[in-house]
Amino acid sequence: MSNITDSDSPKRPWLHLAIPISIVACFALFFVLPDNSKPGDGNQSQGNEVDEGSSLTEGATYYIFASEIELESTNAKGDPWDAGENGPDIKYRILWKGNQVFQSEEKDDSLIADWSGLSIDFDWSDLGGKTISTDEAIKAARIRNEKEGVIELVVEDEDAVDDDLAGRVEIKLDELKVGLNKRKLSKTATNAVKRINIQVLPQGSSLKDLVELMR
Amino acid sequence: MSKVRLLILLSSAFLGIGLVAPTISIEPRAGEFTWLVKLWDQEATETVTYSIFGAIRDLFLMDNLFLALVLGLFSVVFPVFKLSLYWLATVHHPNSSSVASLLKWTARLSKFSMVEVLFLALLILTVKTLPGGSEATIQWGAYLFVASALGSMIVPMLIEKPERKGAE
Repeated sequence: MSNITDSDSPKRPWLHLAIPISIVACFALFFVLPDNSKPGDGNQSQGNEVDEGSSLTEGATYYIFASEIELESTNAKGDPWDAGENGPDIKYRILWKGNQVFQSEEKDDSLIADWSGLSIDFDWSDLGGKTISTDEAIKAARIRNEKEGVIELVVEDEDAVDDDLAGRVEIKLDELKVGLNKRKLSKTATNAVKRINIQVLPQGSSLKDLVELMR
Repeated sequence: MSKVRLLILLSSAFLGIGLVAPTISIEPRAGEFTWLVKLWDQEATETVTYSIFGAIRDLFLMDNLFLALVLGLFSVVFPVFKLSLYWLATVHHPNSSSVASLLKWTARLSKFSMVEVLFLALLILTVKTLPGGSEATIQWGAYLFVASALGSMIVPMLIEKPERKGAE
């Protein structure tokens, strides 16, 4: 090993060695304080944060869908839903301003049906390649919250001949909150819907929130 | 203050910032299905930015001790130690045998000075060859690190001058 000291050496060489080390450490510390080294620094928020439980903003557009619907054991007239012992085949539609803006898939033989706000339909032919947009994957009505706005949920039991109405529920938009909205209903001569869970999510929410609330 | 010392101090400052500043950003992509991956695992498609210190820390936390040690040695310990030896060389008389000795030491360390830059280049090349269009981007911290490495390459040229005169 080479001898790095001789007669003209400074008296305290280690003190001099420490100068560049101190400079490196000082500048590193100065920049590390705002934590530039944290992984994921370059992340940009890909949407607005969802404030669950907050009221709907006027003029804003929302995704609305029923995540769960429970029907009474018999229809509004007190008769069995389907012939034999089969349960009802539940589906629902959302009407806004008198127009149908969304129709769900039907859930066979069930008194409690649930839906996800996200679903992708694949066919064998899609194996060769398929392009799907985010909008296609979101299974919900898109509604703009206007003053005194109302939507109508029409719940039906799908039959081969004719669909039987299970109930029509009118919902004022200003009564809804962002996130899960639970409604309990009483059985009447025109209603056999026992319970509805409605999910509301602002359009433009982050994908993470969409996935969390819609799946 | 001599130009050599100023250059050493500047290189030290650049090195200090370059070690903790954002060095490389990796933007994972899954081609046509990027949006789908985003839906189900948003974190998997988030852009991740690393500093050299951050990369060493993450390698250590992921139990890649060997890589953490190699990266730490070549990008932190050697460059800092080299700059310290240069500073020490400026304190000695230019014609002293100590300066020659110190420069010999630093010349040995210099061989490893660009290893970290090479590591970054290899990383970018690897990420760019991944399927799905993943992207790796050099951030400003890398330029400071390279500037520091270049600065410490120039320093021995400036120190050697008086020694040559003495040798003549």
